Amino acid sequence: MKAMIRTLCLAAAALLTAPCGAAPVRTDNVEAELVARDLALAPGRSAVVGLRLKHDPQWHTYWINPGDSGMPTTLQWKLPPGTRAGPIQWPAPKRIPLPPMMNHGYEGEIVLPVEITLPADWPAGQQARLAARAEWLICKDVCIPGGAELTLDMPVLAANSAPDPKWKALFDAAFAAMPGGKVPGAEATTAGGVITLKLAGVKPLAGREAYVLAGVEGLVESAAPQIIRQEGDTTVITLAVTSNLSYTEPRISGIAVGFAERALSFEGPLVGKLTAGKGMDDPAAKGVPARPAAGSAGAEDLSLVLALLFAFGGGLILNLMPCVFPILSLKVLGFARGGGTVAMRANGLSFAAGVVLSFLALAGVLIALRAAGEAVGWGFQLQSPPVVTSLALLFFALGLNLSGVFEFQSLLPQSLASATLKHPTADAFLSGVLAAVIASPCTAPFMGAALGYAVMQGPWAALAVFGALGAGMAAPYVLLAWFPAWLKRLPRPGPWLARFKQFLAFPMYATVVWLAWVLSLQVGPDSIIWLGAAMVLIGMGAWMISQAGGAVWRLGAVAAIACGLVAAWPGNEVAADPSSTRQNGWVAWAESDIGALNAAGTPVFVDFTAAWCVTCQVNKKVVLETRPVREAFAAKSVRLMRADWTRRDPAITAALNAFGRNGVPVYVLYAPGKAPVILPEILSERIIIDALKAL
Amino acid sequence: MRRLLSVFPCFLYILCLLCSAQSTAAAPPGQMAPDFSLPATDGKPVKLSDMRGKWVVLEWVNPGCPYVQKHYVSKNMQALQKESGGRGVVWLAVNSTNPSHHDYLKPAKMGEWMKAQGGAPRATLMDEFGDAGRAYSARTTPQMIVVSPEGRVVYNGAIDDRRSVSPEDIKGARNHVRAALDESLAGKPVSVASTTPYGCSVKY
Repeated sequence: MKAMIRTLCLAAAALLTAPCGAAPVRTDNVEAELVARDLALAPGRSAVVGLRLKHDPQWHTYWINPGDSGMPTTLQWKLPPGTRAGPIQWPAPKRIPLPPMMNHGYEGEIVLPVEITLPADWPAGQQARLAARAEWLICKDVCIPGGAELTLDMPVLAANSAPDPKWKALFDAAFAAMPGGKVPGAEATTAGGVITLKLAGVKPLAGREAYVLAGVEGLVESAAPQIIRQEGDTTVITLAVTSNLSYTEPRISGIAVGFAERALSFEGPLVGKLTAGKGMDDPAAKGVPARPAAGSAGAEDLSLVLALLFAFGGGLILNLMPCVFPILSLKVLGFARGGGTVAMRANGLSFAAGVVLSFLALAGVLIALRAAGEAVGWGFQLQSPPVVTSLALLFFALGLNLSGVFEFQSLLPQSLASATLKHPTADAFLSGVLAAVIASPCTAPFMGAALGYAVMQGPWAALAVFGALGAGMAAPYVLLAWFPAWLKRLPRPGPWLARFKQFLAFPMYATVVWLAWVLSLQVGPDSIIWLGAAMVLIGMGAWMISQAGGAVWRLGAVAAIACGLVAAWPGNEVAADPSSTRQNGWVAWAESDIGALNAAGTPVFVDFTAAWCVTCQVNKKVVLETRPVREAFAAKSVRLMRADWTRRDPAITAALNAFGRNGVPVYVLYAPGKAPVILPEILSERIIIDALKAL
Repeated sequence: MRRLLSVFPCFLYILCLLCSAQSTAAAPPGQMAPDFSLPATDGKPVKLSDMRGKWVVLEWVNPGCPYVQKHYVSKNMQALQKESGGRGVVWLAVNSTNPSHHDYLKPAKMGEWMKAQGGAPRATLMDEFGDAGRAYSARTTPQMIVVSPEGRVVYNGAIDDRRSVSPEDIKGARNHVRAALDESLAGKPVSVASTTPYGCSVKY
């Protein structure tokens, strides 16, 4: 028994005194540990230990100059007497953009090396216990301050020991990432909130992005683009001074990346009066271009009354847009047929109700989606392939009806058919709904600012403006229904009516072609075959219905139509092919490039467009891609960018919102050194050429 | 009708000129403070230029940030707000968090939070598009800006000189806002006008 207790005690003692090397501490989103490069330390010699941080994916800690926010990692050592620890030797950090700001830090698994020197008279064989309190700030999109008490017990041997294979790779990577040399000569001057840094004897490596990072806080605007040019064998870099200037020394130091295989450190005098820079919003200095401020004139200054007036006008104009005109044709036929005065007025009001309520419902959906945090804008319903497919098939069916392939009466059993006829009011209401749905994405002139205003001002204003839009659209028909005298000016029904009806099928088919094109852009070219097949099946179904046959024909018709619908159901949206957006000199919109391009003196013209926006397509064909306009762009070396909103794109939605707009088209000209200019929604060659002249 | 149609493009052009208004750059000390009009948590718009003639403090806030919590849990910020209000200073708290960020609080909730903290700003403003934040180059929460009655920025930077999340560091720290207000109200120039702000990044 005694023997057993003794054994147990010895075992316990052995466990307690075993060199335990610290177990890693796992805390919010990071694993922290003190590690040593070598297997043992030596008295009187310096050795390398380090703080190992293993970040969870997408989380980062900070460099000595953390950038616009954040806090560098710190180590407070508790060391045995006579032991010295050097400062953290920082590997070159990663740039972590957080538009419109920039941070510098580390992700993944890293080690921050520190040189430790034991006193020469360290007793042989005695272990060294190194302890430190590590503190950091770890962030992803939120920040969590963190810290740990860490210990590392190291054996001490007389001779140099071998590297620890466990950590060799990590330390090698850390040292490789540290500056591998100094820039032969560095000096800087400053004036007017700008620092001109001259690095002598270095040149950016071909094909590499070259930049510098200041090694101190409160001096350089971290997110501002750096303008680099060559003067012989000296690289001249222009940096913006930060608007939160807190550094006052006449020296500048930091690291230069992209000039050699490894980063280089630089240090030199800073001559001149240091004054604060313009900060994040300086169009000439920052990475993201300035937008008109929220409080400035534009959508917000539009009073509600003005917005309502514009919305009403926009509604009137919507009647003429190619996507609405075919629906309009149905109503014209309805009125031309005549009927009792009361009935006609009821129909007119019912149509108006259909239009207005549909627009209100769309406004309601938009408001609800925005409240739920979705980045949606006006026209969003046509960004969805199922909606586009349904509308294409519906319009095809309506076109077939106009062409005379089938009549609506033959679709329904006799009792229901006459019921429908007895309620032309309901029919008028539904026509109104249809008109509203298809008109919505054709953002007519005026609607851009009015809708942008509406959505930003809150739910009631939005509903009022959308209601006014609907009222404007329905107004002509209500007027015609109310004053049938005017109808008398319309020609009486006759053989011409049948021909007119058949003719109106063609705008309907044209709309189907346009929707098919939109679908092909969203889902890919294969969608055309399925949509086409569905249209054939539906055509056949419609023809079968019109053959006044029995139940078999009806059944066959239903089967054909059902197959058509299933066949047409679109697959998932296909990812945009970047090469397809590079057409005719237009490149894909990249907001972060605009500032840099402007800083280099290149104006940028951005076309916010979408396939389902007819105004956009017309402007493209009739203005943007004509020879005089293209020559004018080329003469001023304008970079042409297209922001395609055919699919849902939250970045584009956000950009549109910042201009106070909620739909497309929007045309913006970014001129170097000036505020962005928004051009009208109906373009002309004159407008573009005049705007370019002003550059 | 045709005449009316031809006039529309003119209206449109004027509208677009209005839309393309200038945005002013950031606000280091010495510069004029960019004007803004932002809705408060109760929905009423608040315009900075309406405060001309008074000292104004702008406090960038985000309840989800540990550095902001340091100053609110310790009641440090609330005390500063009350003290400044008592001296006739207009205190405006600004939240520039993007609605799609998960730190975002709806205006009503933001108002409730400020009330629950016992905060006493004149108003808590919602800068959802981040335009006011960018105009002032607000990088962190908290970040503090003091504006003179003439509309000039006299202080822009951190709330105090101890960058940490622990409330114990508040007592021994130099509160830059209190110092700036003390000096300004006594007619003296602000000795420390610009510091590097510390905190979480503003969630644009």
